[in-house]
Amino acid sequence: MRYYLKKIISLIMVLFLIMLLTFIAFQVIPGDGAVTRLGVDATPEAIEALRESLGLNKSLPARFFSFLGGAVRGDFGISYHYSKPVGELLAARLPATVGLAVISILFIVAVSVPLGLLCSRREGGVADRVITFVTQTLMAVPAFFLGIIITLVFGLALRWFSPGGYVSPGEDFMGFLSYMVFPAISIAIPKIAMTVKFLKTSVLRELKLDYVRTARSKGNTERAILWKHVLKNALIPVITFMGMVIADVLAGSIVVEKVFNLPGVGRLLITAISNRDYPVVEAVVVYIASVVLIVNFVVDLLYQKVDPRVRIE
Amino acid sequence: MVENERHLLELCGVSVGFPEKRRGLKLVTQGVSLHVNPGEAVGIVGESGSGKSVSMLASVGLLSGGGRIVEGSVRFLHGEKYIELNTLGQKELNEVRGDEISMIFQEPMTSLNPLMSVGHQVEEMLVLHTDCEAGERREKVLAMLKEAGLSDVEALYGKYPHQLSGGMRQRVMIAMAMILRPKLLIADEPTTALDVTVQAKILKLLKKFQTEYGTAILLISHDLGVIKSVCSRAVVMCGGRVVEQGGVENLFGQPKEDYTKKLLAAALGKENVLRQAHTQNSGEVVVRVTDYSVFYEEKAQKTKRGAEGDCDMAAKKSGLSALLCKKTRREVVKHVSFELYAGEIVGIVGESGCGKSTLAKALAGLNPLTGGTAFISCSQPQMVFQDPYGSLNPTKTIGWLLTEPLRLHHVGTKEEQRRAACEMLDKVGLGAEYYSRYPGTLSGGQRQRVAIAMAIMLRRRFILLDEPVSALDVTVQEQILVLLVKLQKEFGLTYLFISHDMNVIHRICDRVFVMYGGEIVESGEALQIFDNPKHPYTKKLLGARV
Repeated sequence: MRYYLKKIISLIMVLFLIMLLTFIAFQVIPGDGAVTRLGVDATPEAIEALRESLGLNKSLPARFFSFLGGAVRGDFGISYHYSKPVGELLAARLPATVGLAVISILFIVAVSVPLGLLCSRREGGVADRVITFVTQTLMAVPAFFLGIIITLVFGLALRWFSPGGYVSPGEDFMGFLSYMVFPAISIAIPKIAMTVKFLKTSVLRELKLDYVRTARSKGNTERAILWKHVLKNALIPVITFMGMVIADVLAGSIVVEKVFNLPGVGRLLITAISNRDYPVVEAVVVYIASVVLIVNFVVDLLYQKVDPRVRIE
Repeated sequence: MVENERHLLELCGVSVGFPEKRRGLKLVTQGVSLHVNPGEAVGIVGESGSGKSVSMLASVGLLSGGGRIVEGSVRFLHGEKYIELNTLGQKELNEVRGDEISMIFQEPMTSLNPLMSVGHQVEEMLVLHTDCEAGERREKVLAMLKEAGLSDVEALYGKYPHQLSGGMRQRVMIAMAMILRPKLLIADEPTTALDVTVQAKILKLLKKFQTEYGTAILLISHDLGVIKSVCSRAVVMCGGRVVEQGGVENLFGQPKEDYTKKLLAAALGKENVLRQAHTQNSGEVVVRVTDYSVFYEEKAQKTKRGAEGDCDMAAKKSGLSALLCKKTRREVVKHVSFELYAGEIVGIVGESGCGKSTLAKALAGLNPLTGGTAFISCSQPQMVFQDPYGSLNPTKTIGWLLTEPLRLHHVGTKEEQRRAACEMLDKVGLGAEYYSRYPGTLSGGQRQRVAIAMAIMLRRRFILLDEPVSALDVTVQEQILVLLVKLQKEFGLTYLFISHDMNVIHRICDRVFVMYGGEIVESGEALQIFDNPKHPYTKKLLGARV
């Protein structure tokens, strides 16, 4: 129990530090929020008035604590560019990003575990060589290029989906899913390639260990050895890797969102940066940081579950 | 011997080959023939690389790396008739493995699945080969663990291998191997990784199962003492062939073959002292250690057993202070005091975990958490470690490794460094041609020579040797010990020699410290300690010698 308490306290402390750093970073960047918003030819009075209403004329610590207070309540202020609450903007963009992430993670797990096991069981065989060749190639293909190819083949040639025709899950959930499958595939493929390679290496390393020989000497079949003894051991390093992949995908794929015209967090971030819409940028940075931290926390918990050697009583 | 007595296991002219890179096979054993009678304990003895493990692993189809039997047959008495293990299908082989032939291995740590509780690992045998119900299986496992000499078996059932000591793990392995009462137990160096006192107990346990259940034992070992204490018959192997076999008394009493004689000589050499103990000390103090303690830092939570420091108490109060105060110190070496004189070889003996290696590492400056004072007349004493495979960087040449200490201390020019390294290679019996080779191409003994050369390069007068011969074969052990004695004389060195092996200590040390639980419980001249041990722990150590 104390362990989890400590974990959670350090999680909160890291989040606090991230917010502090984000806040400072945007104070250091040259440029004034009010000027950006009103344009360079605005009158000094108008700028001063806006600074007043945005709270920009207060002292730095005071502004940080009001930012922090707002962030805790989920209120990141008003977007300079859209003139809407940032929280609302972010909430509108989350379904696309999270949906995309969930579908692509499902793809990654569902495809790479069986492929990785197949490769390691038949190491050097035809299946292994074909899969290795294909994954090596796909690992080198950038996601945006895959996205373009997929749009071209499935969207324009086969007409399985209409490019750019994103529908929000609230409107038409099935339509949302059938559209999201394609961007999810273009995100998943390079990650699948990496995971397969990773899992294969891990399984092959485990298969050389002494406990596998013991399992054989007990009269286990090769299949039982792989599933009952090796898989769990081999998954330990893969869990860390998957954690990184999941955090990465949840943070929003800017390129793929752009190619498939998805209203996701990644695109929101890009637009906000080019508009110097600092409240939005701050909110997105805090979101991404929290996602990474929380995924890492979950990975830690999973470790505890899987590996008794790191388990804490 | 009765002519028509049926053998339990028969190897007839077995040759094992490993595939080579460019087609073809590399034969590692040639025409090995041996047999085991039901209920008999047979030993296979030989150095590493003699093919003793390989031929047994190949017989039960457990070789990795593509090795297989290319010639000959392995027959096993299955019910009333013989089955040929080497031509058996995978399914039939799996039925025999575990059920009728079971195995225990050298490394009890790595031989158990780290993610499965030990109870389940033993239970797996019953799942695979019997139709017992879950409750019945549990009962049987608990009874078997108890029989293997383990206590508190209910709690043990759910524990994981890393929570057990080496001896306990090997007992679990034995429980696993014996639970189905197999006809044959193959034990591959079962005690090599264990402490002497534990070794004696494990061998006793094996002997007990042999007599009680009539299980035949095939014991593979490089240690003649181990073979003698369990087996009635032995097979000597060398270079992939059987050299000689026969009853233990006969074989080791009147060996016929040269190789057997050599092995015996190396084993008996255990008794011979390698150098004249030099009893009157030179009076010149090389090392003076007073009230010396060494600590390990640990995460606060893990020290449930040890004394809990103030830090730990504070950590309990709140989560926040726990974050700030994470570690606690554990005293591993407790207030030891001693002096070493120039030209001495002083041994430290004790079981693993007694703090002997920790003490050496601290003296070499590898652990800064110490209390008390340690005066050492030369700066940075050099150290030789146990594992010659792990302690040399595989990506550097021998020359680079040897000149590294000189480079770090800016001794001489490049050319001088090179010359010094070549000279040193000569001194340790390797020759200058090893200068540009990589550690990967050397044998264990050669690597240990390199490690010793590295330690002497800087000409420090005090060298710490941490189990320098424990990982080596008996005959190689002998050569390294002779080399160490020679170098000691030549360079006027002082050694602190750490070992768990009483025989090795006996052969080269002038004085001995016996360590137990972080303290020196007995110290004195080697002869005196071996002839007249005072402390009960020393007596126990000496009693466990085989």
